[in-house]
Amino acid sequence: MSDTDLTLEQLDRDGALREAIAKLDEAQATRADLLRRATVGSAAFVAALALPASSRAAPSGRDRDILNYALTLEYLQSAFYTETDLQGALRGKARRASTVLGAVERAHVKALRKVLGSAAVAKPTFNFKGVTEQQTPFLRTAVAFEDLAVAAYKGQAGRIQAKPLLVAAVSIHSVEARHAAWMRYLFGITPAAEAFDEPLSRPEVEAIVAKTRFIAARTQTSRKGRRPRLTG
Amino acid sequence: MSLRALAAVALAAVGAGLAVVLVGRDDGTRGIAAEAPLPEPPAPAFTVEAPQPLDEPAPTARWSAVLAPVDVRDAPSRTAATRTTLATRTPEGTQNLVLVRGRAVDEAGSLWIRIAGPGLPGEADGWVPRTALGEYHAVHTRLVVDLETYSATLLRFGRPLARFPVGVGDESSPTPRGEFYVRNRLTRYADDFYGPLAFGTSVRSPYLTDWPDGGFVGIHGTNQPELLPGRVSHGCIRLRNDDILRLARLMPVGTPLTIR
Repeated sequence: MSDTDLTLEQLDRDGALREAIAKLDEAQATRADLLRRATVGSAAFVAALALPASSRAAPSGRDRDILNYALTLEYLQSAFYTETDLQGALRGKARRASTVLGAVERAHVKALRKVLGSAAVAKPTFNFKGVTEQQTPFLRTAVAFEDLAVAAYKGQAGRIQAKPLLVAAVSIHSVEARHAAWMRYLFGITPAAEAFDEPLSRPEVEAIVAKTRFIAARTQTSRKGRRPRLTG
Repeated sequence: MSLRALAAVALAAVGAGLAVVLVGRDDGTRGIAAEAPLPEPPAPAFTVEAPQPLDEPAPTARWSAVLAPVDVRDAPSRTAATRTTLATRTPEGTQNLVLVRGRAVDEAGSLWIRIAGPGLPGEADGWVPRTALGEYHAVHTRLVVDLETYSATLLRFGRPLARFPVGVGDESSPTPRGEFYVRNRLTRYADDFYGPLAFGTSVRSPYLTDWPDGGFVGIHGTNQPELLPGRVSHGCIRLRNDDILRLARLMPVGTPLTIR
């Protein structure tokens, strides 16, 4: 298998990442659409209503898509650190950092899924190709993921329509920035070298995620309609 | 200047500074105390709960798919002897799987995985490059088949979950003993002989190597339940149809299989 000729379509067979990203380009929904979606997506609406009264906000069309986009990136990060923890191959400060960051990223996933309710995108399948099992590849990938998350959240900040959602997203964004600094320090590069961080656009994030080739097709382990030729 | 005069000058300077803060700075902008109070920030639409440590029991086994044809080697090295070559698909058309047993890094820094693979007992137990494998999956179950008591016991987290009477291989083609795993699951085929559902396993019968598709041992239902339990099969593990359907609800693909 060549490492250079894969596309996002091949890697993201379930379409979770593309689904989240593509919706960002949809035209803003009409008022009628929004009302209809509020009815159809009642589970998400109910989930949001379950929040404390001071923070009630059912995500609207574009905001919901941005949250799903964020959720997909959080899936990527939480799966990465969780697998690292389960492998148990790291040592020292990297091991400790992975444990802490994994817990935080799983908390982010849980929160975003709660807000999105039934509108939440499915978790993709990830193949981390051994980077969760070796110290240096782990640190290099962690820096890339955290920098990516920081830039991706920033890239959507100006597009979030509901201020309460923006406040929540910024609260996650700053945590991701702390993670980025931590992992950069452990990897031996300057945690905060720049005076101004550039955001990353949707195509830029898409290209970086595709380049990792970490999103995999689900393994097919079942088959219908084929007569067995087992020994009997 | 006397001490008293110095104190008077200092007091005047402090007073002037306070006046600037309260009324306006000397650069023309207004001081903080003179501003209208800022509005409270909006409450976040949601908050994130406190992070929780990973609370996942150690898996019984982990498995992975074979993504590219790969040689299984005796040691974690490209120069080590090749034991066999793994295909990406099973004879049943599903993705080929291996159990993951361990890891090592070679001198070039490449990661190798120790696997248990499909084939004759022990034939494909060795090392493959990590790059040939897919994502990892964890299972918490194990199926133990006892050839003396004609029983299959499913364990989860090491504890018995269900037990079934089985038919096993007869004297001419006994069921092979050893450590194997469940490789795939087949349904909706038109053959009553195998009952409503069949699991393919990783082990080939050493006695039926010329069997179509290599003679892999299965775990399946039957159209002759009256023969169970006993030594009645060509090597496969036969269950009554109700039992195989119940087992299928409890046992995921990738489950280790102990035949003793």
